[in-house]
Amino acid sequence: MKTSTLEFFVGLFLAIGMACLAYLSIKVARKEFFSTRGYDVSAIFSNCSGLRPGSQVMIAGVEVGRVRGITLHDYEANVEMVIDPSVLLQKDAIASIKTKGLIGEKYIDVTPGGAGEKIQPGGVIHDTEPSMDIEGLISKYVHGNVASQANGSATAK
Amino acid sequence: MRIRTVIPVLFIMSGLLLGASASPERPLTQVRGTADKIIGILNEPALQGEAKRAERHRLIREELEQRFDWNAIARSCLGRHWPKLSREQQSQFQDLFKQFLERTYLDRVEPYYNQLDRIEYQGERILESNYASVKTVVMTKQKIDHPVEYRLQKSPNGEWQVYDVVIEGISLVKNYRTQFDEIITRSSFDGLLNDLRSKVASNNS
Repeated sequence: MKTSTLEFFVGLFLAIGMACLAYLSIKVARKEFFSTRGYDVSAIFSNCSGLRPGSQVMIAGVEVGRVRGITLHDYEANVEMVIDPSVLLQKDAIASIKTKGLIGEKYIDVTPGGAGEKIQPGGVIHDTEPSMDIEGLISKYVHGNVASQANGSATAK
Repeated sequence: MRIRTVIPVLFIMSGLLLGASASPERPLTQVRGTADKIIGILNEPALQGEAKRAERHRLIREELEQRFDWNAIARSCLGRHWPKLSREQQSQFQDLFKQFLERTYLDRVEPYYNQLDRIEYQGERILESNYASVKTVVMTKQKIDHPVEYRLQKSPNGEWQVYDVVIEGISLVKNYRTQFDEIITRSSFDGLLNDLRSKVASNNS
């Protein structure tokens, strides 16, 4: 009698543990079983490194949608998003890929525009800013310095 | 005998083809045309030196006027605040902002002109038939390349006009939209106008 209740509780704990693990892995992987409702909008970025399906789309820090998929289109990234139906985007809205904090995850930040015309479901955000390639910028400055020093010494002679 | 008849036919056909391809002008061709004209003005021997500066800038502004849709740029830079303004305020802002942009960019870019090696035109992409982007790379003599992308919209008369410039992945409109939003929420629209006025005045002197 006593051993059976003990076994029951051990089993229960194990079941709860398994459920927690399953919940955690779904949360971490950001896999949503239920498709998010809303309308589709796409945007082409010259670089979207760090962005992945499930990344957030935000306006003023408020989540208004999610990234659904990323594909390569003419050597550029075509990002498809699902946007909350209550949020309308202006034709001149700008989508930029930003980083949460210094090394945080990437998200799409949308700055609302002033145009009267709105983007229809299935439409395109024309104006985009790619993820900042900090390494690229640094290397540009490094090479720039070398070149300008070389130039400087050449003119000094 | 045969060749003699074929040549004129080819001539006429090539003329027709050229005419056909030139009439709906490509965004890239138009951007390149404006850039070449401005470089021509900057290289013009009769327009060199400090004394000719005003004349030189006037000619450059005329070229820019044709290719840049200043009104769209101004509207877009104000973003969500634009529809809340009265017509009078909107046109007041457009005038001031255009002066501000022309002055900042002419004064800032011109001193670096002697470092320009060449501009490479990488290609164009047309979206929804009346939007386009043209990718270029500005190469300096130090062999550093700076990607510059122009975003254009087709105006009713068929000209492609620039409404945003993205330099090194940073959009001009986005940059000002964030700044102006901050200023307007911190003070007011009149505060923004005053800030712009003092900037234009200080650049003028």
